[in-house]
Amino acid sequence: MLLRLTDISRFYGQRLIFKGVSLTLEAGSVMLLTGANGAGKSTLLKIMSGLTAPDSGTVELLLSPGAQIGYMGHQTFIYPQLSALENLRFWSRLHGLHGKQEKSLRQEPAQKSVQKPAQDLDQKLAWALDQVELTRFAQEKAGVFSRGMAQRLNLARILMLEPQLLLLDEPSTGLDTRSRAMLDREILKAKERGAAVVWISHALTEDLPKADLVAELGPVSKKSTGLAYFGPADQFKAYKEVREHA
Amino acid sequence: MDMKKPTPQKNLFAAVAPLALLGALLMAGCHWMIFAYAPEERVMGLIQKVFYLHMPLAWWALFSFFLVFVCGIAYLARRTPFWDALAESAAEIGLLMAGLALITGSIWARVSWNTWWTWDPRLSTTLIMWFIYAGYLVVRRLDFTFERRATVSAALGIIAFIDVPLVFFSARLWPQTMHPSVVGRSGGLEGEMLTTLFVCLAAMGVFWVALLLTRYRQALAAQRLDRARLDYLNNEDNF
Amino acid sequence: MSSTPSFLSSALIIGRKDLTLLLGRGTGLAQAFLLGLLIIFIFSLSRGIGETVSAQAAAAIFWVATLFCQVLVFTSLYALEEVNGQRQGLLLAPAPLQSIWLGKGLAGLIMLLLAQLLFLPAVAVFLDQEPQGTLMRGLLCILLTDVGLAAAGSLLGALAQGQAARESLLSIVIFPLLLPLLLAAISTGAEFLGGGVPSGDGENWLRIIMAFDALFLAAGLLLFGFIYNSRE
Repeated sequence: MLLRLTDISRFYGQRLIFKGVSLTLEAGSVMLLTGANGAGKSTLLKIMSGLTAPDSGTVELLLSPGAQIGYMGHQTFIYPQLSALENLRFWSRLHGLHGKQEKSLRQEPAQKSVQKPAQDLDQKLAWALDQVELTRFAQEKAGVFSRGMAQRLNLARILMLEPQLLLLDEPSTGLDTRSRAMLDREILKAKERGAAVVWISHALTEDLPKADLVAELGPVSKKSTGLAYFGPADQFKAYKEVREHA
Repeated sequence: MDMKKPTPQKNLFAAVAPLALLGALLMAGCHWMIFAYAPEERVMGLIQKVFYLHMPLAWWALFSFFLVFVCGIAYLARRTPFWDALAESAAEIGLLMAGLALITGSIWARVSWNTWWTWDPRLSTTLIMWFIYAGYLVVRRLDFTFERRATVSAALGIIAFIDVPLVFFSARLWPQTMHPSVVGRSGGLEGEMLTTLFVCLAAMGVFWVALLLTRYRQALAAQRLDRARLDYLNNEDNF
Repeated sequence: MSSTPSFLSSALIIGRKDLTLLLGRGTGLAQAFLLGLLIIFIFSLSRGIGETVSAQAAAAIFWVATLFCQVLVFTSLYALEEVNGQRQGLLLAPAPLQSIWLGKGLAGLIMLLLAQLLFLPAVAVFLDQEPQGTLMRGLLCILLTDVGLAAAGSLLGALAQGQAARESLLSIVIFPLLLPLLLAAISTGAEFLGGGVPSGDGENWLRIIMAFDALFLAAGLLLFGFIYNSRE
């Protein structure tokens, strides 16, 4: 178990958004989070990230010490006046990634796969920029980037963290086909690494095959909203069909 | 739909009308005492009588701001909406009373020192407090969500009040002072004057409580109304 | 893999980033400096021909210029985090939230000191002042006052984030709160410029400055989280 929500409820001002949300997420699984507009998907994701607190219920996070959460919201966190590299370096250092201490660790020979990011911060920054194909633009001010490039830089920021929990809020918005493939690849890699992924997607049919689990926020009774579906991804389609006929 | 309910304080509100009535009677009594019972001050003359209103106004204004401070701490600790409503009510009444204290003080200054405004530690502190809490009320009316407004105002209410002693000490260090020290010093009020002052203070207190409860009830009602409207809009049966 | 950066190193990382942005890349700095210089110049018009500006008036003008500069500096420091939702990124970082307050406070303090490097000669030129007091003491008073301005500015600057008309909002909230500090700064400033202390006791004014610093440093540590992290 990596993340467990128990009986979460959340108000917006005085209005109830959802209540009674309980779910468990194991390491190495991908969960799609879905629901109608205003059902509180983004809010639930923010609760998982710790950005905002629930009004009741508990959030348990069992990350290994020093492990990070990677949160990708609607906004890119990019400083337009800093270069791509400077943006990346700032966020990495703020999350405690730095070259100096790692150097002693590098004495032991690196024998893992080539994919493994280098330990030195500068090398790692270069590696992350390379992964999102922004190496050529490393020194350019991020303010001139297109929406897609900015989103890729945002992805690089998260790759730097090697997060154990990856929270993505409609990450493919504004990405072209090529960048989408890049995103899918990184999600898969994170999963293989043993990270858990929560993914809010608006392209459900397209993304369903990539997920292990689906959680749907929706009406659970006449008057309240909660977790309408939580279960394996392959049974979600059948569930939807049954419900539409009812 | 599930709602966070503010603590209902019906019993408390039942006291509003009697308190207001009592306050009115007491205030009327005060005026009789001010003009008939208390003797005229020898040096300052008739204008000194404005003091019987000026001082209770200033005193209860300060107490209101203290209440904003207490509510701020309570809100940050408990996160219950009624503390926020109480803080708002207290700040508004405090601002009103501080404003009246400034006006009465200014009238007094005009007659006794021939100037509408002079640097005096207490008067200046009152004016600065007036500015601070006017700013506080501006922040309260910003376009925030309920919780952000409540949290930010609570923090600001705490900061504002801990600043007040420093304002007072610095205002006292600043040159020029003419304000008479009244209670507990030599040359202060005596006998009937002091009795009148304390009765005025108490009467203003009763009036203050009635005013605070009225405003507090309105603030709670506004919170309830917001919730009810959302409830109605959220319920699809209504459309 | 990584280690949580300490409170102080987080603050330094944030402060350094802010200084890079304000000093190297933006126009925010030029605006704040120009406004301060303009204020000093415009106040010099209040002097009639052949009249001198009193040391107290000159000190007051110097601090009014600094105050407006402070408002612009701290609103732009927090506006930096609003462009692409960087505020959320800062909130997600592992170090305590107060490191944001400290980092921005330090960056703002440096900006204020830089601005005053310009304002001091401007006061000397436009208002015809010549420092008479001990230089070290004068500078100490300025530095301690700036610490208070930075602590309060960083705390309340967070309040104005995301609002329209941030500058005027911050001004009306912060100016009355800063009044004790301002009175003390004007008095010690007048002493430094050779006019003597208006109330005759410079030590007490210095105590007011230090008390203000202590109060707002404590308030920043205790209350910043509530102001910056409260829910949207």
